[in-house]
Amino acid sequence: MFSYTFHWNQAFKALPQMLDGALVTLQIAILSMVIGMACAIALTLFRLSGNRVLGGFATAWVEVARNTPALFQIYMAHFGLGNFGIHLSPYTALLVGIAFNNAGYLAENFRGALKAIPETQTRSARSLGMTPMQAFRYIVMPQMLRIAFLPATNQMVWAILMTSLGVTVGMNTDLAGVTQELNARSFRTFEFFALAAVIYYVIAKIVTMAARLFAARMFRY
Amino acid sequence: MMQSKAFVLGLAAAAAFTAPAFADKLDDVIASGTLRCAVVLDFPPMGSRDENNNPIGFDVDYCNDLAKALGVTAEIVETPFPERIPALMSGRVDVGVASTSDTLERAKTVGMSIPYFAFNMAVTANDKSGIKSFEDMKGKTVGATAGTFEAIALEKQVKEWGTGEFRPYQTQADVFLALSQGQLDATVSTNTVAQSNVKGGKFAGISVVGNAPFDIDYVALFTNREEYGFINYLNLFVNQQVRTGRYKELYEKWVGGEAPDLTVGGVYR
Repeated sequence: MFSYTFHWNQAFKALPQMLDGALVTLQIAILSMVIGMACAIALTLFRLSGNRVLGGFATAWVEVARNTPALFQIYMAHFGLGNFGIHLSPYTALLVGIAFNNAGYLAENFRGALKAIPETQTRSARSLGMTPMQAFRYIVMPQMLRIAFLPATNQMVWAILMTSLGVTVGMNTDLAGVTQELNARSFRTFEFFALAAVIYYVIAKIVTMAARLFAARMFRY
Repeated sequence: MMQSKAFVLGLAAAAAFTAPAFADKLDDVIASGTLRCAVVLDFPPMGSRDENNNPIGFDVDYCNDLAKALGVTAEIVETPFPERIPALMSGRVDVGVASTSDTLERAKTVGMSIPYFAFNMAVTANDKSGIKSFEDMKGKTVGATAGTFEAIALEKQVKEWGTGEFRPYQTQADVFLALSQGQLDATVSTNTVAQSNVKGGKFAGISVVGNAPFDIDYVALFTNREEYGFINYLNLFVNQQVRTGRYKELYEKWVGGEAPDLTVGGVYR
């Protein structure tokens, strides 16, 4: 039986606070994507390098990042490392956890994108007199980025949503943290969570649409 | 003639055996034969689990007593602090026996009984932090369980001090884990929880260093706001627990020492 009267005016009063939280959420998501992207490129190069140590390291990273829950990864970044005396603040732990997760998935994206480009293209480029680096830079990379771009926006949306896991490591400034706190104070669970859901939805939607516009401009034939 | 008489009798019987149209929660609980209590089980000695994973603690016993009084069986529904209200609102539990502080803000949402327990607040610090009193926490990293009375009070205090950091964790266990790892320098928690965690030996390198100058934290049973019949029953039940000495007995069993007074001088409830 659902017996609950909504007090929306109370919830709307907290909207500015929640929007501040949304900015922190977006900030973490963007930073985690930038870091994740850099790590993913490094992991991809490691795996292409043929070096067994580097390749093994990259494979282990991707395996753990993709096959364990993000909650576990974030929890480990805070409490797991904490056990060894490495103390990351909730903000840093959340950022590290999500960046780790992003890197794993993005590395897989890049690998898939590379596989989709026939090797004959590189050989043709080389036979036209390009160096290996030039062939990668002018022939392979533009295509790789185009193929990997839309899956990467998925990961960006996923990163935004993952920030909500920060509450488990004591994060109280992002959207989920602010919402939890408002909820604890007043017990108006459903209003605050509904507002938070709408804000998450709007952010995710804007990101997806911006990415699509960007792709339409950048990747024209 | 006979037929219509039978029909009337049948109607009367049907009316007698059908539940009244406006059965309230008290009726529902008695009719269903089960009382579902929201209890927080990582909050010793109020609620925790024994070696066999069975729920134990003051709140668990309190729920069992309430069920006994109602003549039904108790069902303990484990509910972390932040999920107490959603559990009630979505109808997963009938009553919260979950050490819930009876703030005016929350009473806008749920119906609170008279207080059934009272906590004092204690400061527990990591031994390496050098914190020896409540005031020493100024400028340090402190934390508490999100959504609790002490978390709200401590966060306000940190804001007033203007330095230091406040971190809310989702469970009491996480707070003490972070504290013993040194991620937190100190925490404010109920005295009972502090003692039980320090003595329990699960968390190394922490000690209770003093009291926090917060108000006494009176906690109440809660149910849906509009269920006056049930709230009335809960109030009388709390009163009877004290009157019969059961409250003292449970306090002695789970906490020990002088059971706190549940009345406030100079004012009616």
